[in-house]
Amino acid sequence: MSAASVRAEAKRLLSVSLEGGAVSSERVGAVVSSLTKSRPVHQLRPLLRAYLALIRRELAAGEARIEHAGPLAPAAAEAIAAHFSQVLARPIRPVAKRNDALLAGFRVRVGDDVTDLSAALRLENLAKSLS
Amino acid sequence: MTFLSALLAAETAPAAAPSATPAASAGPVADITKLFGDFGVDVHHLIPQLVNFAILAFILYRFAIKPALGQMEERNRLIEKGLADALAATKRLTEAQKTADIRLYAAADEAVRVVAEARATAKQAVEAAKAETQAAQTEVIARAKLAIEADRVKMFDEVRGELSRLVVETSAKVLAENLDDTQRGRLNEAAVKQLAAR
Repeated sequence: MSAASVRAEAKRLLSVSLEGGAVSSERVGAVVSSLTKSRPVHQLRPLLRAYLALIRRELAAGEARIEHAGPLAPAAAEAIAAHFSQVLARPIRPVAKRNDALLAGFRVRVGDDVTDLSAALRLENLAKSLS
Repeated sequence: MTFLSALLAAETAPAAAPSATPAASAGPVADITKLFGDFGVDVHHLIPQLVNFAILAFILYRFAIKPALGQMEERNRLIEKGLADALAATKRLTEAQKTADIRLYAAADEAVRVVAEARATAKQAVEAAKAETQAAQTEVIARAKLAIEADRVKMFDEVRGELSRLVVETSAKVLAENLDDTQRGRLNEAAVKQLAAR
């Protein structure tokens, strides 16, 4: 299989794996088990690699990875996820992780988009403007 | 001259005394013969002597005088030719001298002109070199000023960057040390509100 056909097959498998616009673990398991039975090993490896990359991207697009300094209330995390759900018009769930290097505030990554409202970024911008 | 005077004297003497002596009345031919005899001229030998003299004269003229005259004429011709050549050479020398003088004067004028041109060219070269040196000096000064200004700006930027870095690092350390979770929680809530306001 060529790389283009592998990517096309992986996209088709990803569309099969979605349920209500979100990745379904059951469907992913079914797809993987079906693939392992129907495809030879030399075709399975690149296809699974491409399928895994698409699943990760899709999961990242449905997650708001929140890095925050200090405590962040669950309600605040939900509010952040709701904001991005509204903006991106798709369900977003919050995944919070503490990072005190940000000093204060938080940084949110949704898919390839990053929103930084941290004090560390403001200080960094201040340093850039002064230099 | 003496011979003719004797002949005249012999001619006039019987007229003056026609019958002085009987011997004298023998005639003028005898007197002339006697006179020639007194002078040693022998009539019998005169003609052979004249012939001999003529032969001698002819031989001398043919083999001595004529070649000598020819040589003299040739010598004269050569001398005249030499004189003419010398005159022509003198004339040519004079003309050559004049030509040389003219050329010398022309060369002197040309030399003066060349020297003047060389001086003018040298002066122009010196002026050009001065101008070029002045321009180069100005350019070097301008470059030096630019380099100094660039160094000053670079140094100022480095100092400012270093100061800002120190300020930011110090601020970050101060914030990291002095902010507690309560303050960070309030700041997080403020950030959430700021995000919602977008």
